Amino acid sequence: MTSRRLLPGLLLVVTALAWLVAVPLRAEAQTPKRGGTLRVSYGNEVAGLDFHTSPGYEMMWVGMNVGCGLINITPDGKFVGDAAESWQMSPDGLLYTFKLKKNVLFHDGTPADAAAVKFSIEHIMDPATKSGMRPFYDAVHSVEVLDSSTVQIRLKHPYAFMLHMLAGYRTGLVLYSPTATQKYSVEDRKQGKPEAVVGCGPFKLVEWVKGSHLVMDRFDKYFEPGRPYLDRIMIRVIKDPVTEMAAFKNGEIDFIASFSPDHVSTLKAQNPNANVMTGKETTPMVAQMKVTVPKDGKPMSTERAPHPIFGDVRVRRAIGCYGLDRQEIVKIAFKGQATPWVGMAPPGTLESVNVNSMCPYDQTKAKALLVEAGYGPSKPLTLELMTNTEKSVFNVIATVIKEQLARIGVTANIRLVDKVTWMNTTLQDGPWDMYVEDLLSLLTIDSNGYLSTAYVAKNSSAWSHPRHTDTKVDDYYARYAREMDAGKRKAIGKELLEYMADKMYWNTISGSPFYMVAQPWTKGYVYNAEFEVHWDTVWLDK
Amino acid sequence: MLRRLLQIIPTILGITFVVFVMMRSIPGDPVVSLLGDAYNEENAIKARQDYGLDKPILVQYFIWLGKLVQGDWGASILTGRPVLQDVLVRLPVTLELIVLSMAVALAIAIPAAIIGALRQNTWADYTATSVAMIGVSVPEFFLGILLLMVFSVGLGGFLPSSGWVYFPGTCQTVVCAAGLWGNTQHVLMPAVALGVGRAALLTRLLRASMLEVIRSEYVTTARAKGLSERPVVLKHALKNALIPTVTVMGLQVGFLIGGAIVVETLFAMPGLGTFGIDAIIARDYQQVQGFALITAFAFVVINLIVDLTYTFLDPRIRYA
Amino acid sequence: MSDDDARPVRSISGGSVQEAELGAARRVGWTAKRDRADSPFAQGVRRLRRSTTALVGAFIVALLLVVALFADVLAPQSPIASDQGHTFERPSWSYPLGTDQLGRDMLSRVIHGSRISLAVGVSSVLLALFVGVPFGMIAGYYGGRADTLIMRTMDLILAFPIYLLAIILMVIFAPTAGLIGTMKVTGAIAIVRIPIYARLVRGSVLSIKEKEYIEACRAVGVRDPWILVRHVLPNCLAPIIVTTTLGIATSIIVEATLSFLGLGTQPPTPSWGWDLKANVAFIQSNPWISLFPGLAIFVTVLGFNLFGDGLRDALDPRLK
Repeated sequence: MTSRRLLPGLLLVVTALAWLVAVPLRAEAQTPKRGGTLRVSYGNEVAGLDFHTSPGYEMMWVGMNVGCGLINITPDGKFVGDAAESWQMSPDGLLYTFKLKKNVLFHDGTPADAAAVKFSIEHIMDPATKSGMRPFYDAVHSVEVLDSSTVQIRLKHPYAFMLHMLAGYRTGLVLYSPTATQKYSVEDRKQGKPEAVVGCGPFKLVEWVKGSHLVMDRFDKYFEPGRPYLDRIMIRVIKDPVTEMAAFKNGEIDFIASFSPDHVSTLKAQNPNANVMTGKETTPMVAQMKVTVPKDGKPMSTERAPHPIFGDVRVRRAIGCYGLDRQEIVKIAFKGQATPWVGMAPPGTLESVNVNSMCPYDQTKAKALLVEAGYGPSKPLTLELMTNTEKSVFNVIATVIKEQLARIGVTANIRLVDKVTWMNTTLQDGPWDMYVEDLLSLLTIDSNGYLSTAYVAKNSSAWSHPRHTDTKVDDYYARYAREMDAGKRKAIGKELLEYMADKMYWNTISGSPFYMVAQPWTKGYVYNAEFEVHWDTVWLDK
Repeated sequence: MLRRLLQIIPTILGITFVVFVMMRSIPGDPVVSLLGDAYNEENAIKARQDYGLDKPILVQYFIWLGKLVQGDWGASILTGRPVLQDVLVRLPVTLELIVLSMAVALAIAIPAAIIGALRQNTWADYTATSVAMIGVSVPEFFLGILLLMVFSVGLGGFLPSSGWVYFPGTCQTVVCAAGLWGNTQHVLMPAVALGVGRAALLTRLLRASMLEVIRSEYVTTARAKGLSERPVVLKHALKNALIPTVTVMGLQVGFLIGGAIVVETLFAMPGLGTFGIDAIIARDYQQVQGFALITAFAFVVINLIVDLTYTFLDPRIRYA
Repeated sequence: MSDDDARPVRSISGGSVQEAELGAARRVGWTAKRDRADSPFAQGVRRLRRSTTALVGAFIVALLLVVALFADVLAPQSPIASDQGHTFERPSWSYPLGTDQLGRDMLSRVIHGSRISLAVGVSSVLLALFVGVPFGMIAGYYGGRADTLIMRTMDLILAFPIYLLAIILMVIFAPTAGLIGTMKVTGAIAIVRIPIYARLVRGSVLSIKEKEYIEACRAVGVRDPWILVRHVLPNCLAPIIVTTTLGIATSIIVEATLSFLGLGTQPPTPSWGWDLKANVAFIQSNPWISLFPGLAIFVTVLGFNLFGDGLRDALDPRLK
């Protein structure tokens, strides 16, 4: 045989051999490896481990892995079943029927069945539980157990975001085992006693030593076969960004749950192969202005008087709408890695609308409005700009705002306090003029209700810091939540956002970017902002 | 002697009472953090009642005291965790840090003092004293960060940046990493950062004390007998100089406890320092009381030992 | 007879028995010019001039004073004006020390920061002095109930580890910016240092109180305050001066550490401690913006320490 005829044959054989070898190699690289400990770093302490009442994202992310719910939401906004296999909504929107998977167990061995679902929802709705989630269940009339694996939720009125709420408001619904909840007290759960903190999630709580570590181990009887891949998750709290970055660089940690936006570029420079995950912002960076103060000086009073400075809508618009150069703030504080924004709902929130055109940066207009409101060289405007030390970027933004306000003749004095003081001042109706903060992540416009509704009655939300008394806002929210037709609902949403921007009851500066960082060998994590943090798909490639 | 022992009690009471009052003078209380999203006036009032925060300060103090004598250090308002348990888990970490910091301080001070005493007023003396002086002129956290940059980041993780591996036998949690080498790696940088600052004073004292002993006739006699200088210095001078130095070391514990707060925060160590500052900022009254109690107790006991050693050594000093 | 022959009595001040006796025999309140020229004080100054460490320290302190006084003139730009277009600049001709995250010139910030550090360092110590010294004098001189009351309070404050008390005080005061913020930090540090001076002075007073010439003064009818000021105080002067100088060094470090914990003078007031803390996170990409404030703290504290040490050696020959 001549070499010419041999060559193609040889080539074929070599290619076939190469392919035969490569495919298994590639497949091996893709198949999740079982085992290992995922070392996670938190920037803040877990506040407590009672998933229905303890505050804070750090708790929620534990809750999403130790606990399980009915459904979860994907980054594209689709719903996937967690403990629920399928679900239906009745045509009138008042009945939600969930069919549960048959093999869902709590860590104490009891079944996560329809009775457990009914128990959990009623537990949240019980005023005695004092759950922060309770307002979200206002629309729920009752929960019925149809059979051991079918549960039906009856609403008082249609609620367009029922599924969103169950999936991703805070922890989403976390199922509690009736047995464990009755056996152990809320104090037992809060302090993290492993036998009391019982969920139906992929990981079971092994130990929580506050200030040292939180450890969860694989729950062998998790209902998803083969998952989780990890043997164990170990969470540590590293508050100082220098230390956290050092730990990451040295490979001492595999995953950073929430990384300071200030230092992302430094981290990327040090770790070019790190997987830095982010998305459209779902948290608003705000510079809120206080609209009313208690009339008789008694905090939390429902008798309100206009705030001496920001009670006047002209001043609010002068400063909040036209007086802030949002582009510049984003450039300095986030190095351009955020979206300048005016609307109450951040860019990544469902059905969010861009109303930036309503508030262009316009120094002339700002000054004119201030003059109209009575301020000028003879009566200069001085105000206090409060912010807290939770994130270093707040102070940077406050400093830039101070500069920008100086350009329109307003003197802003920065008051930097710790987070607890800030919460005390704002929640308890204390004296403040303006503050810079980023509050929390908003899955939907609806989830922002309790932060921005009118303060007119005793049971009004204390979290509505500006304390405006405009009930038109509440009407918008109610109509928005009950409108099942998407088109009509979006129109209501747009109106609400435009109204809020017009009245400046809410002053967004930009989106507040959120970052999670994983080592190159930490694979399988699906990023969905702060809403869904699930480590059962994660595996370590080492 | 007994009187001196009894004096501990009012001092500890005084400290804890002052801390108690000071914590309640801080604007804001833990109820806001406790309730979080569920905050509203009604819940707040009820929560304050539940935890006895609406009672007068003195009453609250005596309730705390009453529980204390029964061995109950109370539970954190925010997490419900028993304070004593948390303190006991954290204690070995801080204890180890402080002891090792003192060792580091001595490791710098002893050679520096010996050089200084033997080669008084020469360049070696000045250098040795200056090295100690440099240590005391840098804030502990800055030194800590520099160490972190050099030994942890710079050397690719030769020393870990944070966390803790317990000294074998001191671990009290279920999930426990313990091991001698791991422990050494984790405690080395913090101990150096904390101990270097203490070396200056110790050097000076040791050196001065050694000089006194050297000049004394006792040593002159020994030299006259024909013994060479170095063993004379090392054995007699050092031994005698160490005693007053040790007493001063005891007094330095106050600085160490305070410095531990900073160093532990930087290196994310699960010790009493981080416990204390987190509790103070979170307004977790019960935890702060626990922290104040153990700190005061340690401080007072050490001072007592120092005082007793002092009076034992110098009977001319009468104690009131 | 010259005072050079007189061996110093074991007091911490350095006064000689003969001078005291001589003074008592003459009109109270007047010392011979000849004696004064050869007084221990004059000797001390001479020793000071010969000590290298003290001179280096003094030079640094003087430099710092000049920089702080003339900060406005020396600083090329405003320390708080941010230039959004020039953030994180490397050191260059226009920005000798680079710029920080907000585009502020670091050289100007470091120069102006000297004011805060110096202000806090010096005034906290002076405040402690003006409160502590009188209390100490009263306690020592009058004894009895006043003594017990004052010293118990001082012991209580001293029982606190320095940082613990300062932290709690700052959380109560609530850290702010500007002059008020600086005053709060000053106050917190001062409170912690008061007992040191009180104790020091009291000890001094106790050792002098029983001296014959004091009795002689009283017998002659000189009023107590005059005795305190004219005779007792000068004997305490030396240790007070030394403690003050060293105390300034410690205060500056405490201020920096409080800033690290977020409890010091708040921005935008330029403060070395704050700049160090805020910029240290960027130490890998922009090391100079944290290194320079850190260096400034280091040099300043070193200066005060050297000077204080030199003073101690000069004024208290016993330790030499």
